[in-house]
Amino acid sequence: MAETARQTPTVLGLDPRRASWKAWLLLGPLLVWLAIFVLLPTILLIVTSFSNRDELGRVVYSFNWDNYRRCFDPTWLSIFWDSILYALLATAICVLVGYPAAYTIGRASPANRRILLTLVMVPFWTSFLIRTYAWISVLSQEGLVNSLLLSSHILPTPLSMMYTPFAIVLGLVYNYLPFMILPIYTSVEKLDNSLVEAAYDLGAGPIRAFSRVIIPLTQPGITAGALLVFVPAIAMYAITTLMGGGSNPTIGEVIQNQFTRARNQPFGAALGVLLMLLFLVCFFVLGRKKNSAHHV
Amino acid sequence: MTDSTLSGRASFFRMPDGPKLVRWFCGSWTALVFAFLYLPIFLLVLFSFNQSKSGFVWEGFTLEWYDALFHNRVLLQAFGNSLLIGTISTACATFLGTLGAWLLYRYRFPAHRLMETFIFVPMIMPEILMGVSLLVLFVLFSLPLGYFSVIISHITFTFPFVLIGMQARLQGMDPSLEEAALDLGATPFQAFFKVILPYLVPAIASGALLAFSLSLDDYIVTVFVTGAASQTLPLKVYGMVRVGLNPQLNALSALGIVLTMFLVFVSERLKQPNLGETK
Amino acid sequence: MKTIRPLILTLLTLALAACGKSGPATAPTAATSASAEQKKLSLFCWSEYVPQTIIDDFTKETGIKVSVENYSSNEEMLSKLLAGGGKYDLIQPSEYTIEALIKDGQLLPLNSAGLTNLNNIAPEFRAMSFDLGNKYSVPYMAGFVGICVNTAKIKTPVQNFADVFVPTNKGRIVVLDDAREIVSWALGSLKLGINDVTTENLALITPLLKKWLPLVKVYDSDSPKTSLKNGDVDIGVIWSGEAALLYAQDKKFAFILPEDGAHLFVDNLAIPKTASHPQNAHLFINYLLRADVSKRISDAFPYYNPNLAARQLLSPEQLANPASYPPAQQISRMQTFRDLGQFSATVDELVTQIKAKGN
Repeated sequence: MAETARQTPTVLGLDPRRASWKAWLLLGPLLVWLAIFVLLPTILLIVTSFSNRDELGRVVYSFNWDNYRRCFDPTWLSIFWDSILYALLATAICVLVGYPAAYTIGRASPANRRILLTLVMVPFWTSFLIRTYAWISVLSQEGLVNSLLLSSHILPTPLSMMYTPFAIVLGLVYNYLPFMILPIYTSVEKLDNSLVEAAYDLGAGPIRAFSRVIIPLTQPGITAGALLVFVPAIAMYAITTLMGGGSNPTIGEVIQNQFTRARNQPFGAALGVLLMLLFLVCFFVLGRKKNSAHHV
Repeated sequence: MTDSTLSGRASFFRMPDGPKLVRWFCGSWTALVFAFLYLPIFLLVLFSFNQSKSGFVWEGFTLEWYDALFHNRVLLQAFGNSLLIGTISTACATFLGTLGAWLLYRYRFPAHRLMETFIFVPMIMPEILMGVSLLVLFVLFSLPLGYFSVIISHITFTFPFVLIGMQARLQGMDPSLEEAALDLGATPFQAFFKVILPYLVPAIASGALLAFSLSLDDYIVTVFVTGAASQTLPLKVYGMVRVGLNPQLNALSALGIVLTMFLVFVSERLKQPNLGETK
Repeated sequence: MKTIRPLILTLLTLALAACGKSGPATAPTAATSASAEQKKLSLFCWSEYVPQTIIDDFTKETGIKVSVENYSSNEEMLSKLLAGGGKYDLIQPSEYTIEALIKDGQLLPLNSAGLTNLNNIAPEFRAMSFDLGNKYSVPYMAGFVGICVNTAKIKTPVQNFADVFVPTNKGRIVVLDDAREIVSWALGSLKLGINDVTTENLALITPLLKKWLPLVKVYDSDSPKTSLKNGDVDIGVIWSGEAALLYAQDKKFAFILPEDGAHLFVDNLAIPKTASHPQNAHLFINYLLRADVSKRISDAFPYYNPNLAARQLLSPEQLANPASYPPAQQISRMQTFRDLGQFSATVDELVTQIKAKGN
């Protein structure tokens, strides 16, 4: 987290008190909660990934690497890859689409900025189910687009847009676009106007002003947005199942399947652990990038 | 908020900058983005009043889908569950988040970096992993799946949001506030309740709102840890969406959007500056 | 090291948790011995199978509140019931799952004295091999899995499974999201017994499945009729009740029971041994066995109704629906699924793997 000139108690000469037993007692519930419901489940998941299952699908605790060996079968690796690709594509589109909008909002007058921000917040806060259903009703065979195309006789038969990779990416983009706009907006808002002025003063056209000055300065915002979109999109299976119909599986769907239909919790846990590792890697790489490029 | 240095030049470079081309491009692009974001939602709401059961042919205005919705016992019960679970988990999450943020700010705990990392984990962990790992936990300890398990899960992934929001607000606080209170003879407890807490109220309120909406909207974690009696609204809606288009869903979505707009409005109002803030 | 304190805390909580395991959440047997059960019922059933109006009317009559959770495959139900910590009063397994559950001792024997309407069930359904004499289960609905074709779009005749999975139908097929089902179609197609799931046979059908599954557009056990109805697909292998609903709406949806590999399924009501409200469960089962109630189920979900008294209340149109009530000699040729034992895991894996290869 960025630390500017924070007026901490230390700065002002007040000593952040060394934690007394009372403070520990008060913090206790939080720590216990974290231990039981965050740390412990993760440990259990890892333990389960080394176990086996019995005939009816119950977990039999043991220790072997079978599940991990299975994970590295090309089938599963290609699903991991597909999920990453979808997320990557969705993120790239979000950046391209969202940046100019975020820029406009960030440079608007304070009054307009307020209104525009609120307009972005509404989809941001709206339930993902509503937002996904909105696109299903537009894209499906009896949906809006096809109704229009058919009734105006542009096409004789309806277009099949649902249950395709296109639909999946669209669903992801629609859900995550506000998550991209907001961080970029924050970065744009912090832009020092004089730098932009200087760029134009020195004779740069808009393209150079953007590519050489503005975009690099707002890079932390872009990276933050990429973090908020790319990383969750890899594992977001509810949207991909609704839009993709099951024939374009993502890793989240597969894990969910292992824990339900396939009744193979240990294998699902192994896939889950790998997903967690992938997650951590992406998070740290992107997080580093964001923090290292911290000017002014 | 950046200062706007209002020289004649600067105003030329304000929204958006530079040549007319840039201004025109950015403005129309933003309009398109908002159209993209709002058009599907708008259509959903519009067709919730459509008399036709399927298809997008307008057949007349009707409120029958809203009526059907209010008589849909399954959805109503699921909504009740969502509210109950949301309220309880929000209350607990807000409590945990506020308490945690304040203690971490005011006291120097050893290993506080580790603690903060762990607090951060539920925020970024993929929901599917949280769902399955909590399921494994509950099954291992024979905790019956139901309201209890869902509420616990919801608290777990919402309280970090409250805590982070609280930390942000504390960062902007003038530390001499507490010092002044202590100087005037208050104990640390009194100082907290009489001075700090009132200052934190906007952050508490907006944190609670965020936690509540996260809980209300959650599907993935809930689907793993729920029992039959504690089915929440997103679970039932997901099932309905899988079956196909349904005007009742349009009506429900319209109501959901209205609720969201209300929440956003309240949340924005809460961001007004308050006394004691150093900005 | 700075991490010691959290570590100690964790160990302490682990120790506490281990103590707590034996404590709460104990015997539902305690609940069953109580004379008065709470007026609640927890129903775990197939999606699109038990009409909500029927459940509401039951609540009106008896005051028992019913909570419903749905699943779309037997495997999902087993998973939640056994490995997933779910506690339910009433479940709706298919015949082969009943076999497995009885073998594992998971079901509560039924108290036939409380099931006064049991005589409504046709005699052949009272003597099925997986539960002779209905000791543990009562038939709810029977049906078949067959081919549903939109004859307006597909003009070539379709007779068996191999005719469905042809390259011209690529991307226009919907199938059930059920590994056991999919494997049985492949087995039937190669003229192998649908219950002959052996390693050799699985190896034989693998190349066939690898040819078939990439042609599928939608996997849906919840409501496969949706994609057929709105034209996303033109042909599918789906539940007979779903096909019957389509046929009732538009006769262009033909239903074909393939000669090779068509099977009969029987879905039953059963009470898990961990149920908290077994008496309420008995009441509900008896309610569902009533002729008028069973008729209403048939109206909503036109499967093959084993309840003779209810069948007498059906209209001629409903009885003439080829997807609901095919000719008797076709039915007599059909097998039911048997429990696969350890091979159910292998079947799961095989299909998941091939499916996951995507298209």
